Amino acid sequence: MDSRQAEQELAVIKTIMEDSRKIGIDKGVHYIFWGVLVTAALIVNYIFLVMGISGPYIGMLWLVLMIGGWVVSAIIGRKENKARKVKTFAGKILSAIWIGAGVSMMMLGFIGIVTHAYNPIFVCPLIATVLGAAYFASGIVQSQNWVRNLSFGWWAGAILMFIFPGFHSLLVFAFMMVALQTVPGIILYRQWKRYESAPAQYV
Amino acid sequence: MHDFNYQNIDDVIHSRIRTAIMALLVSVEEAEFTYIRDKINATDGNLSVHLKKLEEHKYISVEKKFVERKPMSLYKITSEGRKAFEEYIRMLENIIKR
Repeated sequence: MDSRQAEQELAVIKTIMEDSRKIGIDKGVHYIFWGVLVTAALIVNYIFLVMGISGPYIGMLWLVLMIGGWVVSAIIGRKENKARKVKTFAGKILSAIWIGAGVSMMMLGFIGIVTHAYNPIFVCPLIATVLGAAYFASGIVQSQNWVRNLSFGWWAGAILMFIFPGFHSLLVFAFMMVALQTVPGIILYRQWKRYESAPAQYV
Repeated sequence: MHDFNYQNIDDVIHSRIRTAIMALLVSVEEAEFTYIRDKINATDGNLSVHLKKLEEHKYISVEKKFVERKPMSLYKITSEGRKAFEEYIRMLENIIKR
């Protein structure tokens, strides 16, 4: 083997390794599912408040939707995992990030409010802050700068909602859920589809 | 100047298709047979032969299971395989530096 052949061989290895690390690990299905579910819940919550429907009903609404959401999410995840043809380390980290963020949001949204640890008016900016952190980390893990940059949108929205609190925050948060979660989920899904239909070939 | 001895080349890895398999498996946690096949553009038979050779040398391991009644073979690189692959890369770098 001469140095030219060795260089070619190394170049092929490098391409395969780089491409394998960019595997479309995130299908975006969970982003779309949670984006739609939470947006719907936020709008219903806003309508309840406008109609003067009291706190316990709102609490029940969120409790039912969130428990249902976790169950459906777990079923989708299990199905995806079973059918997955390739598992990556990045995929594992990504799952850990989102499960961790999900538990944190549930703690803030339920335990924090039930225990009166803080004024419920700040639940939306607090959750937006957690989402910002989760998007920042998952964008870096996926090497997708645009996903990482969504975190700045979440954090900017959180600052706005902290500065101008009120139940209009629900609508602001619903808008953010569509723009910064559902739409990116659709983009990720399209990317994944494209990747699945045209995998790279090396040999 | 780095010494180079052709006898040091790991014959198990030194084949275009097996190098590609190893490079792919070193970058992921595990990959299914059809995924590897599509990625490296090999035929079922050809890929099976090369996977078998890597498996015989304990560079990769396989887990066979059924998902919705369909057989699935999941391949993983072993620590021995990872070490051998790293050694192979080092050897290629040494050839370039010569």
